[in-house]
Amino acid sequence: MTLLSFAFLIFLTVVFILYWSVFRHSARSQNILLFLSSLLFYGLADWHFSFVLIFSILFNFYVARFITGNRTRGRLYLLLTGLTVNVMILGYFKYSGFFYDGWLHMMGIQGGGGKYNPLHIILPLGISFYTFQGIGYLVDVYNEQIEPCNGLLTFTTYMAYFPKMTAGPIEPANRFFEQIERRREFRYPVAVDGLRQILWGAFAKLVIADNCASVAAPILDNYHHLPASTLLIGAFFYLFQVYCDFSGYSNIAIGVSKLFGIQLMRNFASPFFSVNISEYWKKWNISLSSWMMKYVFYPLSFTLRRFGKPGLIISILITFLIIGLWHGADTTFILFGLLHGLYFIPVILYGKISKNVINRNSRSFPTAKDAIRMMGVFLLVMLTIILFGADSVSQGFYYLRDLFSFSVFTKPVFPGYNGYPKATMTLFFILVLMSVEWSQRNKRHEMQIDNIKNRKLRLGIYYAIVLSIMLCGSSVQIDFIYSQF
Amino acid sequence: MDKKDIREKVKAILISVLELDRLEMKEGMTAADVAGWDSLNHMVIISGIEREFNVRFKLRELNKLEDLNALIELIHQKQLAI
Repeated sequence: MTLLSFAFLIFLTVVFILYWSVFRHSARSQNILLFLSSLLFYGLADWHFSFVLIFSILFNFYVARFITGNRTRGRLYLLLTGLTVNVMILGYFKYSGFFYDGWLHMMGIQGGGGKYNPLHIILPLGISFYTFQGIGYLVDVYNEQIEPCNGLLTFTTYMAYFPKMTAGPIEPANRFFEQIERRREFRYPVAVDGLRQILWGAFAKLVIADNCASVAAPILDNYHHLPASTLLIGAFFYLFQVYCDFSGYSNIAIGVSKLFGIQLMRNFASPFFSVNISEYWKKWNISLSSWMMKYVFYPLSFTLRRFGKPGLIISILITFLIIGLWHGADTTFILFGLLHGLYFIPVILYGKISKNVINRNSRSFPTAKDAIRMMGVFLLVMLTIILFGADSVSQGFYYLRDLFSFSVFTKPVFPGYNGYPKATMTLFFILVLMSVEWSQRNKRHEMQIDNIKNRKLRLGIYYAIVLSIMLCGSSVQIDFIYSQF
Repeated sequence: MDKKDIREKVKAILISVLELDRLEMKEGMTAADVAGWDSLNHMVIISGIEREFNVRFKLRELNKLEDLNALIELIHQKQLAI
């Protein structure tokens, strides 16, 4: 049941009505409903994996309590045990196939063939997201940055909350606890704001991401027969596919959560208007990058601080290596992360990091210098997305090699059915998206239009988006990319 | 060294590391209020402060800091302990 399915619409409507009627009287009853509906949502995906989720919830909840109750050195061992078990669970489901495969390769054995073949392990839905929430919670409790959660129901709701279950955002515990420990009251403007955000997310996913996929996929699949100009177009559309797929999902998840009076953190903030890679990562998959910065980069750079900038570089490389690995057990993802880490080196060595952001946000248009830097960042990211989407490292490298050839100046060809008109239409919607993002860059999300007092104009915007989805939305709906992670 | 002097030296470190033209230190100011003070250069700032005041921080001490005043207080406490 994806967030854009008819089944989810029915599910959401029923939960919404129950939440604000029968279960509205106390925080406890609201949380009971959210917990039960989350369990149902998860169980419908694959009930077997509910046990992994329930184990993760119980384990992290009680370890955190033991950490708090222990004032001796034992609390450090409890934390380490907690972290190890979390990493082992994630490692078993997500990485055992990768390492087993690598081991077979090293031993010169072709294929598994044995009774136990970890390559057949199925990844439980959302495991990367809830495991990271569990780890963050344990570390925060250990560092006494948050009080441990007193109620198992509150903690369960935090871990299993269905809008963010499949693909995040990876929500910080303290922000979430504060909201669900008190009774939520229905606020009409918040619910409307949530619906607007859902609408924008659906537009990004159905009109842009899925159409981008139908342009990019034939190019990525047949890259060895195509000129560099086409490969460039393929990379461009694939980058927008990933962006609109994931940011679309995030907007829908955040919007759905607003219907229950719970504010999730923003996950994307117009990343393509970044003038350096550091700013880009503050705006792309914000919940993951801020998690990594807090729990990986920060302790690492603290340990290595006496080495100055080389220490920072080592810390950032390790952090991005883990970001790459988080995406999946594949060398392409590791290289994707590593490349982003390498992009940081000039910023660390020579950059002024983010000094000019405030000035830029107050201008109507970017300066020529900023525009060039934005395009530079976009191109750098576009190169990495090829590795992200490649089936193998060799495919990624061959694609990149073919991209840097003189055929980049030839007329592009569009493989696949209706390639050229589809690409033109999708490019138009990408321009619409970018214009809206630029004009709304200081808002909380792209569809925050409560400042438009003219009701007819607001309705016109809704109709335009709905019509775009109905008339131009892709006929082939593709699963959300990040729900695979 | 009193807190006022510590404050001025911290301000000078921030201006130098972040390459700012000027910095107005306000009550309750946090890293988020200072342009360019992010996780990437946070440890460069911390390392600069450690060198300037000849103190060593623990990670847990830094994790608990809520604002710039708390950092100045921590430096002051560490100096008194020397």
